[in-house]
Amino acid sequence: MKRAKRGVVSTVACAAVLIIAACGSGRSSGFAPRNKVSIQGQEINVLLPYKVPGRLLAEFTRESGVKVSVNVTSWDAVRSKLVVANTAKTYVADVTEFDWSFTGQFAAAGWYEPVEKVLDPALVADLSQADAAFNAGGHTYAACYSNDYRLSLYNAKMFTAAGLSEFPKTFAELGPAMTKLKASGVDYPLGIPMGATEGGVTPWYLLTLALGGQLFDKDFKPLFADPGSAGYRALQFEVEALKNGWVSPGSVTLDNRPAFDKFAAGSSAILFASSPGNLSTANDLKESSIAPNAKPALVPGARGPGTTFGLPEGLAIPVTAKHKDAARAFIEWWMRPATLRVLYTEAGMLPCRSSVVTSMANSGELAGGTVLSDELGHVVPLFPQGAPKWYSQFSSTAQGLVNAAVKGDMSVEAALKQLAAKATELAGS
Amino acid sequence: MGSDICKREPHTGGESSGPSRRVDLAAREATRVGMLMVAPAVIITAALVIYPLATGFETSLRSGDTAVGGQPRFVGLGNYGDVLSSSTGRDAIAHTLVYVALAVTLELALGLIVAVALHRVFRGRGIVLAILILPWALPSVVSGVLWRRVFDPDSGLLNSMLAQLHLVSHPHVWLASRGWALVFITLVHVWGVLPLVSLILIAGLQSIPDEVYSASAVDGATPLRQFRYITLPLLGPSIAVALTVGTVWAIKIFDEIYVLNGTALNTRSILMEVYNTTFVNADFVHGTAFAFILTVVTVLFAAIYAVALGRSRT
Repeated sequence: MKRAKRGVVSTVACAAVLIIAACGSGRSSGFAPRNKVSIQGQEINVLLPYKVPGRLLAEFTRESGVKVSVNVTSWDAVRSKLVVANTAKTYVADVTEFDWSFTGQFAAAGWYEPVEKVLDPALVADLSQADAAFNAGGHTYAACYSNDYRLSLYNAKMFTAAGLSEFPKTFAELGPAMTKLKASGVDYPLGIPMGATEGGVTPWYLLTLALGGQLFDKDFKPLFADPGSAGYRALQFEVEALKNGWVSPGSVTLDNRPAFDKFAAGSSAILFASSPGNLSTANDLKESSIAPNAKPALVPGARGPGTTFGLPEGLAIPVTAKHKDAARAFIEWWMRPATLRVLYTEAGMLPCRSSVVTSMANSGELAGGTVLSDELGHVVPLFPQGAPKWYSQFSSTAQGLVNAAVKGDMSVEAALKQLAAKATELAGS
Repeated sequence: MGSDICKREPHTGGESSGPSRRVDLAAREATRVGMLMVAPAVIITAALVIYPLATGFETSLRSGDTAVGGQPRFVGLGNYGDVLSSSTGRDAIAHTLVYVALAVTLELALGLIVAVALHRVFRGRGIVLAILILPWALPSVVSGVLWRRVFDPDSGLLNSMLAQLHLVSHPHVWLASRGWALVFITLVHVWGVLPLVSLILIAGLQSIPDEVYSASAVDGATPLRQFRYITLPLLGPSIAVALTVGTVWAIKIFDEIYVLNGTALNTRSILMEVYNTTFVNADFVHGTAFAFILTVVTVLFAAIYAVALGRSRT
């Protein structure tokens, strides 16, 4: 009897040791060596905020034998789904959107597989500049697929009608240009979304950088509450733009997509903060009534073209993914130069691979010519020290307070003081 | 069978007689069968309602944001204190109270008018009832989108109409100021819920016997007095149900606000604050605490109406 008991105890102990060893051996990657894995017949789910041309996906399926289902959901909803599913440690998809702003929080939570050791080393090296936005704790968590940043778009026909030959380079030149555009019959020349959304708060971030400032110092101390700061002047600019009738009163409820729609419909002459991908849509006769008059322009600044910031988006593999090898194959296929070119022309996604961007710029494939590559020279990260894990809380508070200030519910001073207090609390937590 | 069991004499011990033992066995058997019958419902309820509630409550008592890699620890009711003392939390509670007060008042007043008007039989009543139900049949997101086109400052129907009538010279932003935004959002909400409230009240009206009205008419009661002294008291249970439905729907208002005004601070409700805290900020502990406060408030309202209904019946 004693021997039997001892046997049971030692078996349980061995099992426990094995389990602990398995759990303690670090995060299990779940990737098989490339030459020892068959992904044929697998089906992967991809969660993205943008449509992917169906023929491209069919091409991948033909080539790899992997069926792909793309679940297209709005950007905000993608984030919510990822947060809920990952917190519950349940499967959400095999490949998902990974925005630059997710990095701090998602990396700290350990929800995603690091990709630097999983993807082809040549691809990782080619993406290294854009992928810096996805680095945290010595790992890279996504492969950048959309080299998004902010630049301005303008309606060249409206500019010519107003007697303007070029886009303002400074904020000092912007005022007289607005006066001329209004005089030529454009009721509200400047398009700036100011709704209580991520798209509505992005112009404030951009204006802060364009006016020569930063949101935080290197220790995440807020720099925008002082009336002389760029952040304060940026919000003051938005309020004044509304008062002067440069921006339509309805902008206080607009997100970035409706603001672009109004630009494409000819309601505004300038879209102050646009994604470069919007340019091809604005010049598409099927989707825009101002085509082919949309032109890109460098974001104005204090003394010349201003600083702008990057908002790269990547593809990433959650730790809960069911088919990680197929997910890897999908990302590597997506990053091929030929695929990236099609995605740029058909879906407006500017590639992140340095070699591909250079090649497209040299061959004249980039819409907008040199302006896009010139603007890239002014791109800086919004958080040079890396997106903090509390970015989403800061941003969501900023959305409400910036919106309250432009609506006149709060003064600029009160809104930014409250935001600074929240940021200080978050940074200290 | 149940009454037989209740009426049987208490067992006093000693040797049990034959019939008494048979009753005992039958009672035990009945209890067993009864428990077996309700077991699936109890298990499903426990798994889908009680377990998540208990887990959620336990989460609301912990700190440490696991969503950003933190370690949870017990903080008692600290999270509840945090959400109640935050300015956005207090504003959300105030906004929700305004939504509830306005919505319930309007729904009940308009619902009574609609119910009395449609209680009478007239030609085309079926068509009117079918049209009446339409806004309720629409998902609240869809009705929000429809109304957004009405309130859009730049190209909305309302501003266009007012401009054509020369009542406004420049676009008015209807959802900018806190007061008006709360009123307009409530109106959109009422537009969706009013059909249900009206139907409940119509059903209540149809349950009042015509003889009561005939008898009162013989006694010389005017239509107004009939409404005051017959319709309203006899409609009490239906009004209580309509109040409960209206209040619960108004407390959980979300879609209309989100579609019309996003997460703007001037119109956020408690449920929107719960969503924002939990899913946008990934702050599950505070989000769950706020959700529990909302649950308690909802239960409280429902209990008040239930008690009021009980009193009106006695």
